[in-house]
Order: sequence, then C-alpha cells, then structure tokens
Amino acid sequence: MIDAFFIARHSFQEQLRGRFFLVAVLFGGLLLYMSLLLGTLAADQELRALLDFGLSAAELLATASAVFAVSSGLLRDMETKTLYLVLSRPVRRPAYLFGRWLGINAAAFCAALLMVLLHLLLLLSKGWVWEPAYAGAVCGILLKVALTSSLAALLAMVSTSTLSGLLMTAVFWTLGHFTLEMRQLLEREAWRAKLIGFTVYLVPNLGLLNFRDQWGAGSREMLAFAAGYTALYAAACLTMTAWLFRKKEF
Amino acid sequence: MPEQDESPLLFDNVTKTYVRSHLGRKKYSRGVRGLHLNIEQGEIFGLLGLNGQGKTTTLKLSLGLLEPTAGTVRVFGQDPFEPAARAQLGYLPELPYFYPHLSPREALGFYARLSKVPRKSLRRRIDDALADVGLLAAADRRASEFSKGMLQRLGLAQAMLHRPKLYVLDEPVSGLDPLAVHDIRNMLAKLNTQGATILLASHSISEVERLCRRVGILVEGRLARILTSADWAKDGLEKLFIETVMPEVPLP
Repeated sequence: MIDAFFIARHSFQEQLRGRFFLVAVLFGGLLLYMSLLLGTLAADQELRALLDFGLSAAELLATASAVFAVSSGLLRDMETKTLYLVLSRPVRRPAYLFGRWLGINAAAFCAALLMVLLHLLLLLSKGWVWEPAYAGAVCGILLKVALTSSLAALLAMVSTSTLSGLLMTAVFWTLGHFTLEMRQLLEREAWRAKLIGFTVYLVPNLGLLNFRDQWGAGSREMLAFAAGYTALYAAACLTMTAWLFRKKEF
Repeated sequence: MPEQDESPLLFDNVTKTYVRSHLGRKKYSRGVRGLHLNIEQGEIFGLLGLNGQGKTTTLKLSLGLLEPTAGTVRVFGQDPFEPAARAQLGYLPELPYFYPHLSPREALGFYARLSKVPRKSLRRRIDDALADVGLLAAADRRASEFSKGMLQRLGLAQAMLHRPKLYVLDEPVSGLDPLAVHDIRNMLAKLNTQGATILLASHSISEVERLCRRVGILVEGRLARILTSADWAKDGLEKLFIETVMPEVPLP
C-alpha cells in the first residue's frame, strides 16, 4: 500500500506541474468572460445562469483533465517504457495502477476545488447568497470525476490508443446521463430489453450524482448513497483494470 | 526471504511465444525456445545475438515483465513475479526514459522509495549514485534536457541506488561516446568487484569480450552456444560469434 502512496504522490506532482494550473487559469478566464456575457444576455436570471454555467464548466474541465490524464498516462507509461523502471522494482502491479489513479484524482479534485473557489468568489461578488445545495452539487462533481476516471482506466486497458480510450469513455459518460431513459425503454419494450439490457447496467448512472441539476436534492442520505454507488462502481472498474493489467505483458 | 546460496538467475527450459490477436486471428511469434541458463554468483554474463534473436525477451523474463509460456525462471530461487525477487534486481533498459517533469535527484528519490530504500539513508544513496555516474553537478536539471549519454548514466544510477545483488542491463553502452563507454565499463567492473552479478545483453562484441567471463549466443531464440573467456582467448570473440550466428559464411 505504501508503494501506491508513493506512486500517487508522484502522479499528483506530475499533474500539478503539468496542466493543473492551465486548467484552472483557463477556467478563471472563461468564467470572468462568461459573467460579463451573461450579465448582458440574461439580465433577469444572471445569477442562476452563472451558477449553472460555473458548476457545469468545473465538472467538465475536472472530468476531462482526469480522464485524459488516466487514459494517456497509463498508455504513455507503457509506450515510453517508463513503466519498466517501476515494475522491475518490488512494486505490485495493482499498487502502480491504484497509485496512478489516486494521484490523478487528487490533482483533479484540487483543480475542481480551485475552480469552485473562483466560482464562489464571482457569485458572492454578484450578490448571491450561500445555499447548502451548492456543497451537495460540488460533492456530486467530485464523485463523477472519481467514477468516470475509474471507467477511463478500465477502457484504457482494453484500448490500443489514447484516442480510442478517450472516445469510449466519452460514449459511456454520455450514456451515463441517460440511464433512466434507457431503463424506461427497457421496461416498455421486451425485445429491445434483451438486446441492450446487459449494456444498460454496465453504464454508470451519472444522473444519480447530478446534484447540480437536481438543486437541493443532495440530502445527506442521497449523498451517502451516491458516494456508496461511486465507491462500488469505481472499485469494480479498478479491480477489473488490475486483473487485465496483471495479465499484460510488456 | 530468498536463500542467499540460490543461483542469482536460473532459466529452466524456458520458452516464450508471443501471441498477438488481430480480428479474431491469432499470430504466434517466437521469443525464446528451450532456454537453459544458470547465471552464477559474482559473474558478468554477456548475451549476444543479432536483432530479434531473444536477448531482450530473456531480460524481460528475468524481470517478471513477461511470463514464460513454458519452463521456469528463478531469481535467487524466487519467481520474478514476486516483489521480493525483484527487490534484488537492478535493471537498465535500452534507452532509459524518465518522467520529463522530474530532475535526476527527484527521479532517483522516487525510484529509491519504490525500491524500499530507508528514508534516513535516501539522500546519501542518491548523492552516492549520482556521484558514481558523474551526474552530481547536473542533479537538479530536468532529465528532459539530458543527452543520450547522460540518460544512460542516470539509468545506471537508478539501477544501482538500492544496491541490488543482480544487475540486468540491456545494451548499457549502446550509442555512447568513447568516454562514456569507458566510464560505464569501469562502473560495471567496480560493481562486480563489490560482489554484484551482472547479466548484460549487447551488440558490442568488444565490450562483452572485455567485461564478461562467460557469454551466451542466442540464435533464433535458442541458446546456441555458451563460451568462456578461455574459448575466445586465442581467436577473439567476434570470430566465434560469426561462426555461431552465420555458420555458412566463410571467415577470412
């Protein structure tokens, strides 16, 4: 476990020196620009629009940076053979994998929280009054990042390039927002149910973590349920990734 | 714990066949076949062979990066897939690549922790390793700014900083200038006099001839011949190598 910690620390440092600040600065600039634009376009609903836009942008950027780092990082380590210098040491393969994932997620969480801080400052400067639902929405974002990046790790292991890994993750991520609709379809039409039934339950239920759209739904019970679901889904993905990784030859 | 009287590296009838699947069809290619090899304690053993004859496959099998299709590989009596076996190994890959965001000192710190170097001796070990390979002055530069020779030296430093008993080196002097070759040769000889066992794969016959006491020649994945320094004392290793890999070619 201590190896996973060293690898996580290294991955975190790598992210921090890489695109971490770029993402945060990009977000800050975009937010300020949009706040000016929204002030003109949505005069009545400026705060609501700014709230939604800021949280969506933070979620998208944090998820994208974590998914990209997981997908490209694992494959890059294999292609450049930097992995040889790690795996030729007394390090178990799952420890490398878990450490990599953990470090990348820690960096993505920091980036998300920095963006949230910028967002909050902007909202408060516009006269917004703090609502506890905001904290629930932020928790949902962090859970989504963790869940999506664990899925990205699994898909990176079965894909041959970063691009295909990213594309597959994007497809699952998109479908993950429509699991409710897919399940309703399943209940109505039996033949289709057989066809897609298996797939529907593999797709992560990201709607469950979307406390941003269900403003105020983030009760403690709901958050605990969402955290449990994320932990189980991520654990299943990482376990399968570790199994595939153990079989991999370099 | 590994037995200290066990052979540092043992290949017992090892075969490695690569399987590649493409569109449901499997393609098989040879890695090594029926490899029997026992690397003895304290020796420098050289692996020679033309490209694609199984040298790197042999090294990867000893590191647990590849699993044998048949036969067994043992590092000090243990399966190389076990971390305890790999703890006694130092590996230098051909063209070592380091994380570009790290300085050599940081990179060595990272690898040292993974090799279970105690925290209290970490700094001294890193400084010693950097000094041994002549990189102490460049310790805080980015590894991405390094020349090939400097990367090779850094590669050797990361292999030796946890003081392994067995070194597995893939082309340690490939593409280096004569001074770097000289330094690395001296470093390997020094490690050997300190008791380390070394397995090195190389294309450089002259280097292998100077450093090794025994040499194995791989031909089409098979260990075609094992030679000792007495065998090449008269005519040189190059002649014996050509005789082995291309028996039909007449020698001048």
